[in-house]
Amino acid sequence: MLSVRDLHVSYGGIRALRGVSIDVHKGEIITIIGANGAGKSTLLNAISGILKPSQGEITFNGAPLKREPSKNVKLGICHVPEGRLVFANLTVKDNLALGAYLRTDRKKIASDLERVYELFPRIKERSSQIAGTLSGGEQQMLAMGRALMTDGDLVLMDEPSLGLAPILVHTVFQIIKEILRLGKTILLVEQNANMALKIADRAYVLEQGLIVKTGPAADIASDPAIRAAYLGSKSVAGG
Amino acid sequence: MAQFLQQLVNGLSIGSIYALMAVGYSLVYSIMNFSNFAHGSVIMLGAYLGYYSMTLLGLPFWLAFIAAALGTALIAVVLERLAYKPLRDRKATFLYFIITAMGASIFIDNFVIATIGPTPKMFPAVFAQGPILFGKIALGRIDLAMFVISAICLAALIIFIDYTKMGKAIQATSFNMKASTLMGINTNMVIFIVFAIGGALAGIAGVLYGMKYQVFPQIGGITLKSFIAAVFGGLGSLPGALLGALVLGLVETLVSGYLSTQYRDLIAFLILITMLIVRPSGIMGKNAEDKA
Ligand SMILES: Nc1ncnc2c1ncn2[C@@H]1O[C@H](COP(=O)(O)OP(=O)(O)OP(=O)(O)O)[C@@H](O)[C@H]1O
Ligand SMILES: [Mg+2]
Repeated sequence: MLSVRDLHVSYGGIRALRGVSIDVHKGEIITIIGANGAGKSTLLNAISGILKPSQGEITFNGAPLKREPSKNVKLGICHVPEGRLVFANLTVKDNLALGAYLRTDRKKIASDLERVYELFPRIKERSSQIAGTLSGGEQQMLAMGRALMTDGDLVLMDEPSLGLAPILVHTVFQIIKEILRLGKTILLVEQNANMALKIADRAYVLEQGLIVKTGPAADIASDPAIRAAYLGSKSVAGG
Repeated sequence: MAQFLQQLVNGLSIGSIYALMAVGYSLVYSIMNFSNFAHGSVIMLGAYLGYYSMTLLGLPFWLAFIAAALGTALIAVVLERLAYKPLRDRKATFLYFIITAMGASIFIDNFVIATIGPTPKMFPAVFAQGPILFGKIALGRIDLAMFVISAICLAALIIFIDYTKMGKAIQATSFNMKASTLMGINTNMVIFIVFAIGGALAGIAGVLYGMKYQVFPQIGGITLKSFIAAVFGGLGSLPGALLGALVLGLVETLVSGYLSTQYRDLIAFLILITMLIVRPSGIMGKNAEDKA
């Protein structure tokens, strides 16, 4: 579904990605783990078109992706950015409506909105509230709901659990699984490697702009080097 | 008391036209984070377009408004394409935008001086001379027209921004451009709309200004006071621009009425400087940095 080949991205002199290749197939949850500054957000931003790669190829369903995010939304890329970036000056309802900005299928929009409200009952209760007054966790739910309203097939998620209390982290991962059940494909960037590897099918390990390891999530989770670097000393339950 | 009410009415009338001009500054600032100093020149061109629509083309005054609004909307959009789009494509910092805006403004003003000439022009009489009397309060017909036309335009703008999909998209882009493009909102489209609206309102404001006073190439410099209003209310905020403009209009007429006309501009700039020192983000401003 998504194929990234030999992707290079630089910020001025800083080479953030140095030849990254990944594949995502329909119906998968793929996770990318890596330390701070490894280039995870850069990769997602390059896929959705926010950043222009200096080299490399990104194809989605066989066709190259555009260098303009708003066009990629139309093609089915749906990016929940790092830091949520909800429209704090608008209501929750308006935020969700903007997710459906490009869509004209009124009936489907209405049923998708119902679906989002089912996934996030807290958001439904607060639909008339100004988004800036939501708690961090609620804003994360809203950012996910808003992205789902674009009805994209591939959901890019950048650290959805960042800054959330453990109980909410659990909820967020629960919801990611439900989003998968809606028929979406998920590319998940996480620093919480423990949780990410538990729900993912496959994983890529990104270090300083290079993919250093890839494989089934369970294998990655049991790899001693990975465990030492990303999973702490804690043992990984399940797989 | 009657004199005070009279000043109040005059102040509202001046304030409403400042508001019409100020929202153009604010709209552009809210999306692009720079003060479009070429806006004043577009207002001036609007005054000339209205003037020539009536004198050369013989259009009735209401058609002159529409012609001027369409003309300045087009001019503003073309200006954005020629002057600012190349900077956006290169991700230039706001300083380059401001310098470019000032350059464009100087160019337009001098182009008008060189081609049309510096001599002020009088609009043909549109409204009857005598004021309308409400008890002891006299209301100039042009002042009334300024207030009514400005109020209609501003109400339409607020409805557009708050209740339409495109209006919401403009607000979203103003809050966070990156997030808005991830919703499929085309930033170029939003910028196009913002310049078209700001330009159209500038044209209407220019015609009103020209009808009240005269049409001359330096109108743009004078409309800088609407920029003060926008800063005072909080650049980037529409309600802020409206509030700032009304306050400025009232302060100006009260100062003229009770102190002296000579203090009017002094006080206006004093307000600007005080505001920039005490509360740089204005009454309802978007953010406090880089207000230039
Ligand atoms: N706008 C920028 N300008 C310059 N350098 C940047 C910029 N954004 C990121 N970088 C650099 O690029 C590298 C990769 O950053 P990126 O944000 O992709 O990391 P990340 O893996 O998402 O990290 P984190 O887990 O902290 O979010 C880092 O060295 C970072 O400092
Ligand atoms: Mg990141």
